[in-house]
Amino acid sequence: MTTAGKIVNNEIHLQSIHHQQTQPHQLHPPEHSDGEPETKKQEMPLDTSTYSLALLRLDGRRWNELRRIHAQINTQAAADGSSYLEMGNTKVLCTVTGPAEGRQAGQRGAKDNEAKVEVEIGFAGFSGLERRKRKSDKRTLEMQHTLSTAYSSLLLTHLYPHSTITLTLHILSQDGSMLAACINASTLALIDAGIPMSDYLVACTAASSATTSDSDNSDPLLDLNNLEEQELPFLTVGTLGRSDKVSVLICESRVRMERMESMLAVGIDGCKRMREILDGVVKEYGKRFS
Amino acid sequence: MPREVEISIIEREFIQNALQEGIRRDGREFDAFRPLELNFGDEYGVADVQLGKTRVIVRISVDVVAPPPERKFDGVFQIVTEFSPMASPAFEVGRPTDAEVILSRVLEKAIRRSNALDTESLCIIAGLKCFALRADVHIVDHDGGLIDASCIAVMAALQHFRRPDVIVEGEKATVLSTRERDPIPLSILHQPLSVTFSYYEEGNLFLVDADLAEEQVRQGEIIITMNRHGEICQVNKYGGAPVEPLDLLNLNNVALQKVKDISKFIQQKLDEDAKKRDAGGLMAELSAENAR
Amino acid sequence: MHPTTQLSPLHRADGSATYTSNGYTIIGAVNGPIEVQRRDELPTEATLEVNVRPAVGVGSPRERHLETLLHGALRSVVLTESLPRSLVQITLQVSGMPSEEGDCGVSSSLSILPHLLHTALLALLSASIPLSTILTAALVVIPSSSSTPLVSPTANQLLRAKPIRSAHVFAFSGDGSLLMNESDGVFSLQEWDEAVEATEEVCCKEEGGVGLSEGMEVDGREGGSLDTWLREVVRGKVNWEMRWKTAR
Repeated sequence: MTTAGKIVNNEIHLQSIHHQQTQPHQLHPPEHSDGEPETKKQEMPLDTSTYSLALLRLDGRRWNELRRIHAQINTQAAADGSSYLEMGNTKVLCTVTGPAEGRQAGQRGAKDNEAKVEVEIGFAGFSGLERRKRKSDKRTLEMQHTLSTAYSSLLLTHLYPHSTITLTLHILSQDGSMLAACINASTLALIDAGIPMSDYLVACTAASSATTSDSDNSDPLLDLNNLEEQELPFLTVGTLGRSDKVSVLICESRVRMERMESMLAVGIDGCKRMREILDGVVKEYGKRFS
Repeated sequence: MPREVEISIIEREFIQNALQEGIRRDGREFDAFRPLELNFGDEYGVADVQLGKTRVIVRISVDVVAPPPERKFDGVFQIVTEFSPMASPAFEVGRPTDAEVILSRVLEKAIRRSNALDTESLCIIAGLKCFALRADVHIVDHDGGLIDASCIAVMAALQHFRRPDVIVEGEKATVLSTRERDPIPLSILHQPLSVTFSYYEEGNLFLVDADLAEEQVRQGEIIITMNRHGEICQVNKYGGAPVEPLDLLNLNNVALQKVKDISKFIQQKLDEDAKKRDAGGLMAELSAENAR
Repeated sequence: MHPTTQLSPLHRADGSATYTSNGYTIIGAVNGPIEVQRRDELPTEATLEVNVRPAVGVGSPRERHLETLLHGALRSVVLTESLPRSLVQITLQVSGMPSEEGDCGVSSSLSILPHLLHTALLALLSASIPLSTILTAALVVIPSSSSTPLVSPTANQLLRAKPIRSAHVFAFSGDGSLLMNESDGVFSLQEWDEAVEATEEVCCKEEGGVGLSEGMEVDGREGGSLDTWLREVVRGKVNWEMRWKTAR
């Protein structure tokens, strides 16, 4: 494993992967990772503090693997729309209320010509590693703002003037990619609620790992868990499923601008796969009615 | 609390039509900042930034406190942004608007989380005493571009600020007043600056430093914070109309150029200020350095 | 020294003023008359809202106390009856204070009060809010060592005069009547009378009046009371606004 020959081998693969990054469309065909460590392939080029020389990530994934995605739609009978989404150990429950008359329709409600999207995010006390009561801090407010602006421009809000669409998200378990999970769950719930939108808004995270901070040979990683998020610079990217167009992009860590490209490319590719998974969930649910 | 006046339909159309013809309301280039002015107060650590009609005053103050027990070797640094009705009657004291939350989050991520300030240098005695640095951001006049202007103001004020010197003898620390010993500058590791891009025409047209009217018409914004070495500290695109990823990458290059220009401008102003304070050339005389 | 001031430096607010005096720098802004929230609406007069914001930190009970004092004084100056069911919003941002402020022995809410009052008035003037009269105010302190009152002292003078027995702020309206008083410390009624007299001299002495008190010398410019200064500022504003008429 640690012989020189292996390292040479790594470098060869590294280049081939870089070739692939510049053409994100030609990446591996979509695959549903089932969380099983795939040890048969030894072409992982990763060698950072979080990645052992086994060339696998902490949870046994390869660089371009999503975690296990499990999603359900229409989980809460009482809500207008609802969904439950698991991305690995990140678990989110989302309900949609509306379009309905807002709580303060006259005062703070929507503009006259379109619906207003309100978002509430609640963290369960048991969701993190430490049991902590999280009040609505600035970080949560920012996430709410992100979801609200993203869906305001995606949903066909002009069909529902003077009304409010409320998204309520409950975070049941946190293990990285929080914003991405919230976006994916919201999309499913909005589809369940039957609110028209132009395309699926799907999101996932991508990171960049490298041994030295200014090395050109940085390796992208897809769909981070909590440990990886704390260790590596990463971004959350949300695209309109089928196209490459980026609707949401949040990067909160310090990273060289040259590394942006590969992170973005991997992220967008991850979104494409995510869309197919979510589309599968929706179609599976739709079969019940056919 | 009156609501923010929404831009009229005719103004909206005027701005959009003019942009289609490649003209901005005030005749600027698409990638040009408004005229930037930066003045320092008589005291250290006060920066007054005017970006067009937007005006932001930042004041840095320092206090000695006990450090938080979980981070014994760090000082405390916080950035306080509170909108007042001075900037716009729609801002109410004690009830943060979305814009205020975003501004404080962006500043937090841009400056605090990217470690622009070396907080370890604020430590006096580990676990017992440290400096608590505080940056109060006062929005005085609001005509768009608050994030960019605040970021410039905070960074300029931090670089201008001098903290009092301390003598540590065992467990005893004495803070020396400015009269006893010259105060010392903060240790700044890098200088993050924000550039906000507003986009129009379904993401085909990008403007740098939109004013308030342009902000009200835009389809979305992208906030890029980086330092002049090309390190991105944060990128924020909170929804809005979708944009081609290649355009996003191109924006990084534009942002880098702008950040370099502004960094140079701040440095020049700092030098001017230092020269003014050192009118008699006294510092040069007292300095131990000599040209060898 | 008389305060230096600049009217309408801000673009967004309806009226604004920057004010510098004795080491204090304050920016004042007035928005009004504007829409008022229903719970604050008064059927027969305008609602006055005063916000005082400190240079460092967020508002504390000290600022709330100052706001109450300012609100009381300004309500008798602004013609609120002529703007019913509307809001006049006054924001005062302190942006600079003398560094000795903390240890000069006078409550900081007293020493800043006259400056806040002046700034608020100037901002109201700049916003062209109808006023019934103008207002001038000054701080006067009586040190323990002597019984002669010190009128509008600088922070440095206060340091030298320490310890201080009592401090007073008086505000006078344009016709010379006492509008507001806030006193702190131990004093006799006679001392209070003397303090009023001394302040009145500084605030609203007619031009060409006789006898300069000690306070006047401290004030710097001979013969010019605060009242004259304020009228001069207003004259400047009117001249500027009427320049289309006066220019040839």
